[in-house]
Amino acid sequence: MSGRLVLALALGATVLAPLVAPTYHVLLMLPFMAYAVALLGLNLLFGYTGLVSFGHALFLGVGAYTGAFLTSVFKVRSMEVILVAAAALGALVAAPVGALCVRYVKIYFGMLTLAFGMVFYTFVLKFYRLTGGDEGMPFLRPTLLGRSIEGLPKTDYLAGPYYYYSLAVLVLATLVMWRIVHSPFGLCLKTIRDNPTKAETLGIGVARYRWCAFVISAVYAAVGGALLGPPTGNVDPTLAYWTQSGNIVFMTLLGGFASFFGPVLGAFVFIYLQDWVMSVVPFWRLIFGAILAAIVIAAPGGLAGLWVRRPSVEASSS
Amino acid sequence: MLTVDAVDVFIQASHILRSVSLGVGPREVVCLVGRNGAGKTTTLRTIMGYLRPRAGGVEFRGHPIHGRRTHEIARLGVGWAPEDCGIFGDLTVAENIEIATRTRPGGRPATERIELAFRVFPMLRRYAGRKGPELSGGERKMLSIARALALDPELLVLDEPFEGLAPAIIPAVSEGLAAITELGRSILIAESNIHHVPEYTHRLYVIERGAIVFAGAQEDAWRDPGLARIIGSAT
Repeated sequence: MSGRLVLALALGATVLAPLVAPTYHVLLMLPFMAYAVALLGLNLLFGYTGLVSFGHALFLGVGAYTGAFLTSVFKVRSMEVILVAAAALGALVAAPVGALCVRYVKIYFGMLTLAFGMVFYTFVLKFYRLTGGDEGMPFLRPTLLGRSIEGLPKTDYLAGPYYYYSLAVLVLATLVMWRIVHSPFGLCLKTIRDNPTKAETLGIGVARYRWCAFVISAVYAAVGGALLGPPTGNVDPTLAYWTQSGNIVFMTLLGGFASFFGPVLGAFVFIYLQDWVMSVVPFWRLIFGAILAAIVIAAPGGLAGLWVRRPSVEASSS
Repeated sequence: MLTVDAVDVFIQASHILRSVSLGVGPREVVCLVGRNGAGKTTTLRTIMGYLRPRAGGVEFRGHPIHGRRTHEIARLGVGWAPEDCGIFGDLTVAENIEIATRTRPGGRPATERIELAFRVFPMLRRYAGRKGPELSGGERKMLSIARALALDPELLVLDEPFEGLAPAIIPAVSEGLAAITELGRSILIAESNIHHVPEYTHRLYVIERGAIVFAGAQEDAWRDPGLARIIGSAT
């Protein structure tokens, strides 16, 4: 089955889901779509640039808290304004953080991003008057495309207009990211991932390109974070905790970072598998962890890697 | 074009290059010959900014480049084809060549530069859609040089372009280099095998234990018994 057909079927099923699927499952799609946006960005850094960030929950948190501040403090309810503000603030925070982090690679980069993530987590946890501390902040229902949908029950709002709004953001984010990774900039990132020393001999300023990838990935994570707010209606520090960073790295590995859509698939499987395991066993973390570990061991290239052809292997064997 | 002036390079505590000087003029082909471990690659890596000289300097088109980063030197117009080729395995042949036209914009149009690279090494055109791991050693060498050429450089720095190649593929690479010289580019080649030094070489440098021991015409080097022993044993 061709990739385009699979993609068309997946998109069609996603569009039809609110009409045919139980509301509960439709609502589960909301965090999936928010994480998918964040993972598209994370994979620009991970899969395409070769840098593994363990602190991207920082930017999820920046996006989510931006929405919470705007809706509950500044009374700004427009989702478009929230998304733009989240993206801008994500970039603003990522610029200095990235400038420091991209000087390092491998585990040092990962640990440094983790450290910045924990600084932000501690900030939102401890500055109670500003952020609400461990109780978090309310993320009031935003208007979509200028239309206030206050009269609609929350479930109907989320499974209807907000669902399609999130889907539209995901599709737009996917198209933009597709353009980025297939541009000369994306090619340069791949050369940096393959061999940064040799990439320099082509005139590629490695640090500058890594920084750009970092900022773009942060913008995506912030937009994803902003999308996570309305379904729960509240933003708290757990969203910025290091386990969130671990989860999104794991989603990327689960789906396969070598594939463009791998992380999106990883987010889908992670969220639905987690929900299913939670519903059938009390000690779900144990079972969930074991299942995920088994998948990663059986499919080192991620779930997408099971399906994507490997021309180099085929060519060498032929 | 390129002047390396009395360069001393240390790697940790080891004194690798000792007052190395050499020059490459416009449209010149210059060869640096020496045995394995003599300091050829270290000299080229110093030119490319990977190593910083403790003394002396490197100038390109009259401007010092020894303090500059590698990517800045490449953008000034120095193309580099390393000994291990440095092919990006996840990119196709066409992408490997195309990327060099994006990172140093200006000058000739990208399409012209890509076409020139394929014209110099016609064999690569057939493999345009193949990825790095699907190429033979000779094809990788050609791609490495073609990619450096697509950067539209004034000077090409080639580290052992014939190293490890099957005898059948050497003429194809050699013809490609000859075609590049006809384009008027300057070329600096490091080579450990004297028999691979192209006949159109304008000047030969012999390096031994980190020091230049000869600079002159290829035939003059053979007349010196001491040098003939060094470059003869380099085969």
